[in-house]
Amino acid sequence: MDIQVTINGDAETLEAKRADKLLDALRRNGYTGVKRGCDTGDCGFCTVIVDGEARQSCTIPAREVEGAGIETIEGLGTQDDLHPVQEAFVDNHALQCGFCTPGMVMASTAYLRNTDEPTEEGAREAIDDVLCRCTGFEKPVAAIMDAAERMDRGGEVAADGGTAPAEPTRSGGDSNE
Amino acid sequence: MSEQSAPEREPEDETLDSDPGYPTDAEPYPMAWPEPENNRTEPEDRRHISRSVEKNDAKKLVTGEGKFTADFKRQFPEIAEARVLRSEIANGRVTHIDTSRAEEMEGVYAVITPDSDVVPDKKYTSTGQAFVEPSPWDMTVLGRRVRHVGDPIAAVAAEDRHVADRAARAIEVEYEEYEPVVDFERAMDDDAPQLFEPVEVENAQPGHDYERNRHSHFDGEIGDVDAGLETADHTFETSVYLPYQSHLVPEPHTTIAYTDEDGRYNCISSTQVPNHTRRQLARLFDVPVRDVRVRKPRLGSTFGSKQGMIVEPIAMALSIAADRPVKLEATRAEEFYALRNRHPMRVDLEMGVDEDGSFQAANLYALSNTGAYGPHGMTVAGNVGTKTLPLYPRMPNARFSADIVHTNLPVAGAYRGYGAPQGTLALETLVDDVADALDVDPVELRRQNHVREGDLDEMSGILGGAAEGANRRIRSCGLEEVLDRGLEAIGWDDVEQPEEDHLHRGRGMALVAQGSGVAGDELGAAQIKMNEDGSFVLQIGGLDIGTGVETGFTQIVAEVLGCRPEDVLVQSADTDVSPFDYGTYASSTTFISGQAAKKAAEDAKESLLAWAARLLDEPVENLETGDREICSAETGECLSLEEIGHETIYGEDVRDQILGQATHSTDESPPPFGAQFVDVTVDERTGDFEINKLVFAADVGVALNPALVEGQMEGGQVHSLEYAIGGGLEFEDDGSPLTTSFKQYDTPTATEVPPMESIIVETHEPTGPFGAKSIAELPMNGVPPALSNAIKDAIGVRLRKLPITPEKVKAALDDVA
Repeated sequence: MDIQVTINGDAETLEAKRADKLLDALRRNGYTGVKRGCDTGDCGFCTVIVDGEARQSCTIPAREVEGAGIETIEGLGTQDDLHPVQEAFVDNHALQCGFCTPGMVMASTAYLRNTDEPTEEGAREAIDDVLCRCTGFEKPVAAIMDAAERMDRGGEVAADGGTAPAEPTRSGGDSNE
Repeated sequence: MSEQSAPEREPEDETLDSDPGYPTDAEPYPMAWPEPENNRTEPEDRRHISRSVEKNDAKKLVTGEGKFTADFKRQFPEIAEARVLRSEIANGRVTHIDTSRAEEMEGVYAVITPDSDVVPDKKYTSTGQAFVEPSPWDMTVLGRRVRHVGDPIAAVAAEDRHVADRAARAIEVEYEEYEPVVDFERAMDDDAPQLFEPVEVENAQPGHDYERNRHSHFDGEIGDVDAGLETADHTFETSVYLPYQSHLVPEPHTTIAYTDEDGRYNCISSTQVPNHTRRQLARLFDVPVRDVRVRKPRLGSTFGSKQGMIVEPIAMALSIAADRPVKLEATRAEEFYALRNRHPMRVDLEMGVDEDGSFQAANLYALSNTGAYGPHGMTVAGNVGTKTLPLYPRMPNARFSADIVHTNLPVAGAYRGYGAPQGTLALETLVDDVADALDVDPVELRRQNHVREGDLDEMSGILGGAAEGANRRIRSCGLEEVLDRGLEAIGWDDVEQPEEDHLHRGRGMALVAQGSGVAGDELGAAQIKMNEDGSFVLQIGGLDIGTGVETGFTQIVAEVLGCRPEDVLVQSADTDVSPFDYGTYASSTTFISGQAAKKAAEDAKESLLAWAARLLDEPVENLETGDREICSAETGECLSLEEIGHETIYGEDVRDQILGQATHSTDESPPPFGAQFVDVTVDERTGDFEINKLVFAADVGVALNPALVEGQMEGGQVHSLEYAIGGGLEFEDDGSPLTTSFKQYDTPTATEVPPMESIIVETHEPTGPFGAKSIAELPMNGVPPALSNAIKDAIGVRLRKLPITPEKVKAALDDVA
């Protein structure tokens, strides 16, 4: 079956099987940055942003995302032009094996966009559903706080400000990313 | 000692004290080590080592472009997905398999059973160890005799995962069920059901006795322990219990198996041991080693879980049967109950101590549950003693023995720490009990007895033989500084008690040690080629499992050749391309493979300098490597690496590419040392406890990349904390698993980890590349004993069973009341 969605700002048709979860459909269509760790909504490696909210894509039936705006790690930045959150994860050595990193970066990005006052406590809450066996969370939390400053300096928080639901299809095409 | 590593015996080092603290007359382990001149540098002279260089795959990983095994699926349009049908009973025999319904399903390409021609019926071990594996050959790829819930019986290849899953469920299996062994302390009882007939297993290990479910037994002794315990002023004893621990490996075990255009068997695989897997696959499928190729892409970490050939043979057999590439990706539930976990153990320790606090004797015993099969069974148990007793090597008498037994529970395997966490809990809680009884400060007692630079460590050789870790000279030990800085960071001397009467605050600590590779059983090899743009390609068998060792390789090579780390491309762990390496395990990779990289770079440097000498018309002695250039100290004239690289390949008169190569093998395995500190507050009414702070300080030799070392220490502390307070697998009485998801397994999340601090103490280890030792496993060992000690400090009760829970604390309090 085909599912019409907006992915990273572009209208796309996702080919999917009836039993597919959003995770399956994304990977089937080439978005392999989204990782599978459990299929039961417990590890957070498959976190993507759906209509502005960080969601675990293995828990959402693919057919239910018809019309939604989905952001994946592929839409954030590129290796030559990293998003501030990605930059901060690199500069703070906030990753080791990197398998949870796409999920953690997406959860962090959603948090920083949806909050006016980023705090360490808030950062920890934001990635609380993403397991990380390597880092002990010290450096990822430092990276999120660093990213908050970078986005603040770059005016990103102001540009994105407000709450996500007010902008129905947050397509990932943020102009300043 | 083997030839390649044994240095000529040096005259006694003049820098040593006149009394080095060990007998020097018959002394085969010299303190002096003939390290190359460039190996020991002052911090200010280092260009690329001791720098927190960005992980070389960081940008790939943070953009989701780093490719893990499952991500290669799209390169194979015809690929099938696999699913394994596993035993639902803990002990028995499959009497009937009917695959007809599965085979008739649309989209099913192949169904294999123990009766299929393509399925090897040879016994093997999944253990990723060097030939010939010390672990017994006791398992088959698929089998009718099932010994645990999760034993593989059949497998399916189908057009996608949904179809494969349905087809696997459609296979009908009937069993004849036997009584299972679920209590490992009763596995050797006379009336315990027997798992193996002796003829079913090839086992070269000592002490195996399958009629008693005993996989192996060993013992070793230094001095006379019975006499030492008899004559010591005091004796103390303990028994500690440790449960199964899941690796919670982020990326499930995954492999893509296919036959290439030359008819060779290929695997792209999430493995720590590509070369061992190649050899083992070749034996199972009865082809020459050269006809198998194993490649490792990015790895979603391992922690030991992927030190073995676990999913590859099933995928390969399916691929042959389906005549197409097959991807097999384990489910999370399989990771918990069907693949590998840490060995559960009971560890008993008796110590004899004199009134003055000197340790006189230790009698250490481990009863280890290897589960239904025996990968890493004896070697992990061996490390219970050989990685922990070296903390106190001047103790004159020590005995260490173990029984490794089978149960009808999940298969245990390699796991970060590899026996050391189990041994450390017994040793470091008993040392605190000794301090308590003698009324001395637990830190002072350790200062009196702990290992020092210059010690001859015979404890690591207590079991004899290189494979178990031979005797060794301790050439670097920073434990005193580790203790000083750790104590300060945790605020050891000023504990402020909470105002509430029912809350009690306590401090605890534990010393830890590990190794750097398997002493006498490692080989790393590397080659380097210089490109015409002045960059280098490093081909190396050592591989990154997530820690960042490949980045360390680039720093080592850059330090030698004067390029930048980012000028070194690492081509790692493709058995067709990379030189041999035993694999990434036992904290070996920086120490062994890194040394190979360094030696290969030095080999390339000789040619590089010869080229520069020719082009600059200067003698080699005048030349120095600089910042991407070679300069003459005499004339000041410089040539860039790019100019030299171009000339080596397109030169008018002479063309001669710069290549370097080296292998490294050694009997040395210098231990890194550390100390874990825990600050805890306990509620005496409920047993609830809150960890206020963790501090871990470690002597890692020279930290080649401090940020990456810190990452190991932070992640390792949380990993160790999970072992202390969470985790553990639960089972029904019939051996059925109750813990099959992350949800059911308690591990700290981002909001639950306590504040922590990690302190790097630099020493110089002369046998390591630029003075480095290992770090990755060390932080795994300390939190359980340090927490148990902290709780005892707070409320006076000793917790001996992991996980430590509020219920157990409350029960212990009720017991003394």
